[in-house]
Amino acid sequence: MLSLWLCRLSTDRIARSREPSAPLVVTGKRANIEVVTAVDEAAERLGLSPGIALAQAHAMSPSIETTAEDIEADVALLESIADWCLRYTPLVACDPSDGLLLDITGCAHLYGGETRLVADLSNRLDRAGFAYSLAIAGTIGAAWALAHFGKPGSYPCGNERALLAPLPLPALRLPADTVAGLARVGLKRIDDILDFPRAPLTARFGSQVLSQLDRALGLEHEPLTPRLPVAPYVAEQRFAEPIAREEDVLAVTLRLARRLQIALERRGDGARRIELSLFRTDGVVRRIAAGTSRPSRNPEDIRALFVERFAGLNDELDPGFGFDMARLSVLVAEPAPPEQIGIGRGEDTAELCRLVDRLSARLGTRRVRRLIAQDSHIPEIAETALPAQMLNGDHGWTAFRRYRDDSELPPRPLRLLARPEPIDAVAEVPDGPPLRFRWRRALHEVVAAEGPERIDGAWWSEHGGPSRDYFRVEDRSGLRFWLFRTGLYRDLAQSTGEPKWFMHGTFA
Amino acid sequence: MITQLRQRLLGLQRSPIGPGTRPLGIPAIDAILGGGLIYGALHEVAASGEAHFPTAMGFVLGLVAPPQISGTTYRQQQQTLRNDGVCMQKGKSIVWLAEDMVLVESGAPHGAGLDAFGIQPEYLVTVLAMHRRDLLWAMEEALRCRAVRAVIGELRAGAIDAVAVRRLSLAAVESGSLGLLLRTTPPNDASAAATRWIVGTASKTSVIAGRERTRNDTKIKTRFTAQLVRNRRGPVGSWILEWSESDGQFMLATHAQPVAVQAFDRPHRQVA
Repeated sequence: MLSLWLCRLSTDRIARSREPSAPLVVTGKRANIEVVTAVDEAAERLGLSPGIALAQAHAMSPSIETTAEDIEADVALLESIADWCLRYTPLVACDPSDGLLLDITGCAHLYGGETRLVADLSNRLDRAGFAYSLAIAGTIGAAWALAHFGKPGSYPCGNERALLAPLPLPALRLPADTVAGLARVGLKRIDDILDFPRAPLTARFGSQVLSQLDRALGLEHEPLTPRLPVAPYVAEQRFAEPIAREEDVLAVTLRLARRLQIALERRGDGARRIELSLFRTDGVVRRIAAGTSRPSRNPEDIRALFVERFAGLNDELDPGFGFDMARLSVLVAEPAPPEQIGIGRGEDTAELCRLVDRLSARLGTRRVRRLIAQDSHIPEIAETALPAQMLNGDHGWTAFRRYRDDSELPPRPLRLLARPEPIDAVAEVPDGPPLRFRWRRALHEVVAAEGPERIDGAWWSEHGGPSRDYFRVEDRSGLRFWLFRTGLYRDLAQSTGEPKWFMHGTFA
Repeated sequence: MITQLRQRLLGLQRSPIGPGTRPLGIPAIDAILGGGLIYGALHEVAASGEAHFPTAMGFVLGLVAPPQISGTTYRQQQQTLRNDGVCMQKGKSIVWLAEDMVLVESGAPHGAGLDAFGIQPEYLVTVLAMHRRDLLWAMEEALRCRAVRAVIGELRAGAIDAVAVRRLSLAAVESGSLGLLLRTTPPNDASAAATRWIVGTASKTSVIAGRERTRNDTKIKTRFTAQLVRNRRGPVGSWILEWSESDGQFMLATHAQPVAVQAFDRPHRQVA
């Protein structure tokens, strides 16, 4: 476990954008008092520390520069650093509000051991201008305690007890009032509670104290919640020289996809969603994802998807000074049994999937859709369009055709408006078709009409709406429309308002 | 040597019959088109006015719908389909493309309505593009796909790049798909399309001018005035067509418009 504490996150963030002219303090309101929430190194040398009131800070040194805190920016920065740390391990968790936890078990050797990994990380953080403190230990609790209160460094597993003993109690990540309560009875260091009888401690301070202690000592398991889900298949490539050109990135993608193909084949899986992470030299991570409509492990197909994704990106790939690492991860994998290719209709389906994938990659998944028949008799709900990548198979049209043939469904329009548009209509009372109506400012004289077809609202629901009488009408110039009246004239007496007419679609 | 062999192979690969056609089922039109609407080509269909756009779409769907052979045995059907050449080899899917604004303006294609034109909604893929550039790109991609039988691209008003049309038509030729450009207003620019149609609605009931309107019992039929204004393979023409839902094909609507207006007042005859 590696615990990284960015002790001056807020002030470092400000210092990265502009050089402060004087010792910098960040202030925020706590319990209606302006207090100092973060100080930079110069301010700390003046004796200022987080937690004191702003007035006091001004009294201590009048020449300080103050800035209001921006918690969202801090969180965003922390998350971007977390993303960047994905280069070391896929298991990165944010440790609010200014730390990160990295599970580097089994990853350190990729960098040539823990020492080399720490050196690499420190080097990069130094260059980026962050103050930090990091520790590696066997448990999350111990690493955290050592990073925040102990001597930073890398400690082997096993002797957490000895390491933790001299540290103060806040190192156990306990709430402030518990720490204060423990201090009141003279318990100040972890040493003090290590061999303390457990029952009275729990009775007085709750189970949290001992559970945190056990977690730090490794007696109790503490789960790490990674910020991003861990991909089941990952292939990555580091470069000695940063790459910047799109062709190079695509060539790397192809190479990584070939590596993934072997792993996927071994388990009989195919990728449904793939993500390419590009780590820029200056710490920015570009993540580009692409989906497939059926499990795929063909490297050429995967490369083709990213060609479209790059083409569809509104801004350029924006490589800055180049990418020094690329990672291709399969976010969603599904079983893909080997299948016969080249004969019969299977080839066609594959071709179509490829087309859908390419269009979706370029235009966006929501722009390439298929129509779905739904189990409803209300026209606007009766069918919907869903992303084509999500779907396979029949989509309910067989059932629809059976229903249509059974119930002799009257004709349906070719185009259905997104929502019914109100029209002014003159109609025969009580339930005749309109004689003339005005839609989108044009007057239409009805010469023929079919109907009515009554479609009841969802009477079982509160928001069901009134029933509708649909008519198919033809106007003098031959245009054919589908319009409806809500409500009945006979209900007028019950003060439900006059029946209204709506345009809902057009026929060929 | 190798290049020569390659050329020979290319020659062998090209089918000797040429692209298939989709007969409209009306001898007069099929004769003019040289057997029917030719596959592996781009066709333009324009609405005669903005309001007639849904009608033009209906006409396009009628062209796209697989020809139904009613009243024949299964064996005969298979025979006909086999003669249909490219059509049979291709997949069933249809790709419909439009720009974003279309959904607001004329609504989305309604599956239940498509069904009436013999198009099975499960084979339809709809694509929405933000810009015309994207639409033309997507249309070209779809035309190149072997699994797609027909591609319908909707273009709102505005000139279209001649180069783009040329590219589309080349893509259609290569793959043997049916490419259809659907436009809201009649264009007057030159184009690489094989045929250009201007389609509007034809009203049956307008014929009975002067007579009392009959309501409710009048059956509304789907009628088109189809004008073939450009045809690379023959003469042009103009017809009034009707879509027959039960047969799944077009029919000539005979005498939908009155041949001559009946005179009702002839005072000079009475004198004579």
